[in-house]
Amino acid sequence: MSAGNILLWVIVPYICIATFVLGHIWRYRYDKFGWTTRSSQLYERRLLRIGSPLFHFGILLVILGHVVGILIPESTTKALGVSEHAYHLSAVTLGTVSGVMTVAGMAILIYRRRTTGPVFSATTTNDKIMYVLLALTIGLGLATTVLGNATGAAHDYRVDVAPWFRSVLYFDPHTHLIVAAPIGFEIHAISAWLLFAFWPFSRLVHVFSAPVGYLTRPYIVYRSREAVTPRRGWEGSRLPVEPPG
Amino acid sequence: MTSVEDQPSGATEGRMDPLTETLVRAGRYFRPGDVSQDLRTITRVGGREADSFYRDRWSHDKVVRSTHGVNCTGSCSWKVYVKDGIITWESQQTDYPSVGPDRPEYEPRGCPRGAAFSWYTYSPTRVRYPYIRGVLLEMFREARHRLGDPVAAWAEITSDPDKRAAYVTARGTGGFVRATWEDAVDLVAAAHVHTIASYGPDRIAGFSPIPAMSMVSHAVGARFMSLIGAPMLSFYDWYADLPVASPQVFGDQTDVPESGDWWDASYLIMWGSNVPVTRTPDAHWMVEARYRGQKVIAVSPDYADNVKFADEWLAAQPGTDGALAVAMGHVILKEFFVDRQTPAFEDYVRSYTDLPFLVELVERDGQWLPGKFLTAADIGDSSQHAEWKTVLLDAATGSAVVPNGSLGFRYGEEGEGRWNLDLGDTVPLLSAYQEGGDTRTVALPRFDDPAGPAVMERGVPVRTVEGRTVTTVFDLLLAAYGVARPGLPGQWPSGYDDGSEPGTPAWQEPITSVPAATAARIAREFAANAEVSGGRSMIIMGAGTNHWFHSDTIYRAFLALVTLTGCQGRNGGGWAHYVGQEKVRPLTGHAQMATAADWQRPARTMIGTAFFYLATDQWRYDPFTADATASPLASGSLQGKSTVDVIATSARLGWMPSYPTFDRNPLGLADRAESSGRSVEQFVTDEIGAGRLKFACEDPDAPENWPRILTVWRANLLGSSAKGNEYFLRHLIGADSSVRAAETPEADRPEDVTWRDQAPTGKLDLLLSLDFRMTSTTLFSDVVLPAATWYEKHDLSSTDMHPFVHAFTPAISPPWQTRTDFDAFSAVAARFSQLAEDHLGVRRDVVAVPLTHDTPDEMATPHGVVDDWRVEGTTPVPGRNFPKLVVVERDYPNVAAKLAALGPLAERLGATTKGVTFELGAAVQYLAAKNGRTVGGVADGRPLLARDQHMCEAILALSGTTNGQLAVQGFKALERRTGVRLADLAAEHEGKQITFADTQSRPTPVITSPEWSGSEHGGRRYSAFVINVERLKPWHTLTGRQHFYLDHDWMAEVGEQLPVFRPPLDMHQLFGEPRIGAMGELGVTVRYLTPHSKWSIHSEYQDNLLMLSLSRGGPTIWMSPADAERISVSDNEWIEAVNRNGVIVARAIVSHRMPEGTVYMYHAQERVVDVPLAETTGKRGGIHNSGTRLLIKPSHLIGGYAQLSYAFNYLGPTGNQRDEVTVIRRRGQEVTY
Repeated sequence: MSAGNILLWVIVPYICIATFVLGHIWRYRYDKFGWTTRSSQLYERRLLRIGSPLFHFGILLVILGHVVGILIPESTTKALGVSEHAYHLSAVTLGTVSGVMTVAGMAILIYRRRTTGPVFSATTTNDKIMYVLLALTIGLGLATTVLGNATGAAHDYRVDVAPWFRSVLYFDPHTHLIVAAPIGFEIHAISAWLLFAFWPFSRLVHVFSAPVGYLTRPYIVYRSREAVTPRRGWEGSRLPVEPPG
Repeated sequence: MTSVEDQPSGATEGRMDPLTETLVRAGRYFRPGDVSQDLRTITRVGGREADSFYRDRWSHDKVVRSTHGVNCTGSCSWKVYVKDGIITWESQQTDYPSVGPDRPEYEPRGCPRGAAFSWYTYSPTRVRYPYIRGVLLEMFREARHRLGDPVAAWAEITSDPDKRAAYVTARGTGGFVRATWEDAVDLVAAAHVHTIASYGPDRIAGFSPIPAMSMVSHAVGARFMSLIGAPMLSFYDWYADLPVASPQVFGDQTDVPESGDWWDASYLIMWGSNVPVTRTPDAHWMVEARYRGQKVIAVSPDYADNVKFADEWLAAQPGTDGALAVAMGHVILKEFFVDRQTPAFEDYVRSYTDLPFLVELVERDGQWLPGKFLTAADIGDSSQHAEWKTVLLDAATGSAVVPNGSLGFRYGEEGEGRWNLDLGDTVPLLSAYQEGGDTRTVALPRFDDPAGPAVMERGVPVRTVEGRTVTTVFDLLLAAYGVARPGLPGQWPSGYDDGSEPGTPAWQEPITSVPAATAARIAREFAANAEVSGGRSMIIMGAGTNHWFHSDTIYRAFLALVTLTGCQGRNGGGWAHYVGQEKVRPLTGHAQMATAADWQRPARTMIGTAFFYLATDQWRYDPFTADATASPLASGSLQGKSTVDVIATSARLGWMPSYPTFDRNPLGLADRAESSGRSVEQFVTDEIGAGRLKFACEDPDAPENWPRILTVWRANLLGSSAKGNEYFLRHLIGADSSVRAAETPEADRPEDVTWRDQAPTGKLDLLLSLDFRMTSTTLFSDVVLPAATWYEKHDLSSTDMHPFVHAFTPAISPPWQTRTDFDAFSAVAARFSQLAEDHLGVRRDVVAVPLTHDTPDEMATPHGVVDDWRVEGTTPVPGRNFPKLVVVERDYPNVAAKLAALGPLAERLGATTKGVTFELGAAVQYLAAKNGRTVGGVADGRPLLARDQHMCEAILALSGTTNGQLAVQGFKALERRTGVRLADLAAEHEGKQITFADTQSRPTPVITSPEWSGSEHGGRRYSAFVINVERLKPWHTLTGRQHFYLDHDWMAEVGEQLPVFRPPLDMHQLFGEPRIGAMGELGVTVRYLTPHSKWSIHSEYQDNLLMLSLSRGGPTIWMSPADAERISVSDNEWIEAVNRNGVIVARAIVSHRMPEGTVYMYHAQERVVDVPLAETTGKRGGIHNSGTRLLIKPSHLIGGYAQLSYAFNYLGPTGNQRDEVTVIRRRGQEVTY
């Protein structure tokens, strides 16, 4: 196993996972008021109304596809009686639909972001880096799928990429599996790791504060103060005492 | 809380879709909290930790009451919030006492500017430490070390030409270094000591305007100046805010209604006053009164903010308001006095105006001219002061009557109890007119023709009294206004639509562009409303009509409208002139403090305009004489006189003050007189007669006559009020300037004043400023002392706009090395006194005092006939046609001790305000108990004035408005003179003493007092002259009534005996500027106006980050699309405004709001924000005043005659600037700094 492979397929993934996890903890603790997508709906809403749902529902499907395709071993689907043909058919169909939705949505959003003055003015360097990583990852993912299927020699990632990814999660990385995969999958994987590493420092944190609870919550929340027993005049102060210096 | 299950199903039916309902119902089981029956709300306990974020943001440790001393007239009480010892923000106080159940309230008051103030406390522009220009400080330290004496050091630096030039020419070029207070105070004190010893105390001047905006800060510096004998410069006339018409008509200066009285008006004209912008906290009264049915008219050349509140907009051309007012007066006179007699109006003008008084007609070169008021002396009366008692005719008998109330009754024992407006059984004859009666054709001047003044001939009815041909002022007024009556000779307009003769609505239309029919209708409505409402028609007039060269004529035409209709002295009626926070309600106490009248009298006070006109050498750039503005009927007594000659005349006749006075140090003149064995008067007049002694103003450029020290505090002279800013920079300061004008050619130079070929530059030895922020003034100063802000000191504030006295209270101690003005001047005084021990000692100072209003001095010039001793070749008589000469002892080593204690003259001589003397014995006792007594020294046992709070208490205790006992006592004194009942007006408060603590706890309403002419009796809204009208107390004028007619010689010379329209000055004719509208290679010529801004108060706030964010920021000039198109400039492009006075670089704001031919550069946009280099000069662009200069009107210099007598900020030449023009051109859009 070459040092390069260890770097790419062992060190990078773990660093990225660690950054992803610790980064979110750090961000939550130190930048709660910055935990936002900085909505630009105020500046432009016509394109956003189309592009945003297209992209977001598309990307949700993409994520679902990745869960099924990567996290669930082939043996499990087989055991559930899903034939290779049926799996492939649904993967290609759903994959294409979600891929097109995602890419189309993203294209609209990027076009909007670039051409609407106020929106572009509100776009930070951080956002731009995020867009590059996100678009690269999505583009590569779609490209491997579409190119594979179009050339008729679709690669079965469930025999190499997926087991390798799971092996990383088991802390027993089977690097030889990914090394054997086609170059497109490899680049897609690397770009995805980088995206995960950048994630906690970008607006993508909003994924973890998606307002799912709104579906089941009344609109109005009243919060009363917790009952406090007033301090008696003879009692000591309850204020925290800071150490001198 | 009950759960959903307990409720009948369907409680939420029809309000929520089934899916949502199902989801929310299910959600109840997965999260804590009670969900309401209708599924709309969930109630939880706790989870509010995030609240602390915003609660902390808005939490504070304490709230302190203070206000802003910024001369905005607001005097709003504010809550200042402090957290962790840091001022965080401010908000409006809401605890104003109610003004009554049937009207809106004063609370809350404030505007965005005041709300932005706390930004300054910790802003980059804050002056944190004493600063001295490095080159000066180094020289001073070196010389002091070497010579061992700061005074000797200062003497050396200022007398060595190279050393002096080294720091003088460095002014305005930066180079400040941080100094210690000790060094700064040492230098300042040494400079004062040296200047007094070498040149005299009258070569030092203090400039600190508008006492009302922070009385103690003003008074402490003025007290220091007064104790050392340095003149304080007037500001009201200098600002051109002083309406000269007010002394002319009322014999009183700016007594006006509070804004709560606008509510009482049922017809309101806002005339040149942009109320929502410049009276922001008070504007609500006008808006609310509209809902009560008040009709509101706006007269404004532009579509100003106030116009949108108005029912009608009269867009009179700039500076032509006088023509509109004369035409309105024409309509009122015709419809309410001639075609129909209106009893309410006739009764009013008979009792309260000079209209029925007799004026003698005189024949000169075959023309009959209006002459002098007929006096009792003229008809053989030999009673005391008979030549000061004016005469009218009894309507019943037609015989001459000398009614009570004229000036002759004001002084002397014979007038005791008779100085009142009680006419007894006499009904004055308003007009001498009778069918087939005798008439004369009088010649009257007209100035409306741009080609030049002309004469009109109109007939008046006459009677003969003691062989003299007389008519009434009313008849003359009808003639001047062109209101015809059958049988009178002369040229008269045929009707309102006859535009050929002055006075008619049709005549004013081409001048003002207001349609004739509209002008007539508004006049009719104004008067009809006054008739049915009992005088509740009001004119709010402001700087838009007041800053013109001929503003006095504009204002007299306005005042004619409110006096003819009986509105003056009525609640809801009369003039409401607001241009500055003029009203020091506790007037007497403040004056005692500021003039140090408790230790020595009188203090030197100087007319600011003439002082700066001479000091900045603007007189060297006046290529015209008084003839340019003279009447075509002038006798020629001002002929050929340049402005500076007129100033010199006024000074030598004792009319106006003149400091520096003589061409030598006034210290020692008294000693010289004594050693010569003559009285001071004798000695000085002998020396003058022999030509050995001259007035300093006759040679202003001689080094011994320069002002040497100028101290500016609470003011931004060079960034805000310095008309002719570039002349200031060149001649007074000695810095870079952009003056482009040429000096007066030899043929047109002054007659009486010495012309020196080389004009001096940098006359001042020391420019000292005290401020809390860096301004144009501090940047040119030699020494800058860091001042406390309005949130860091104890002080008092009051205003015209409301009847309350407000406190300043420190929210924090002065931060860094800043000090209150009180502490700064106390420190200077202490060091000065130490240095004076060796260098000055006790000296005697000859003070030349002008003939003063509200004293018998105003009877110096009978009939206003000028007695110029120099022309006549006679010996001048001090106090008659020469200044009074008073010897004042200057105890220089005890200046600090006297500054900090109330002196014995307070109870020995009392305090006199507007002729009423208050006896202060009880108040002094009270103060001694309240403040404590001084121990030891010259002030042993005297009440303490050692801290700012002491001075607050003293001001309150020594004024009638804040001490009921004094108010009652003052009224009783006035009762003896007038014989009318007055003391009951203050009786309800006789036992009341307002303390400083009272003002800190709540806005405190004042007590009715003879210091003012209105009444707050019984919680009434203040309106000026209510006491005069209701209690028959005379006005302080010649006739004791409101004057339409002014018979002084010089008023005839300028053709303004009666209200008359005078157009703006023609700058093409006077200075050769292009004509307005002319389009040349350089750009388009436009009228250049500098009105007050929405985003600043003077220069304050225009550099404030918050206000900059609300406006475009940086220098801007507003112009009309038409003018912009002519020079191909579009909005926000860079332009340059160039005239002979200077160069301004600004961005254009192109707005349809602006009328063609006029641009606005809002007042006081300083060079501290975004001012690039000018293409025209290569130097930095100027401020708004770089395009202006001083022009002095001769008639403003009249003195020694009844109401036309000097008093500080009562009368003086105005520093007007509205008549100016400029060329505007588009410049390269690439700007460099």
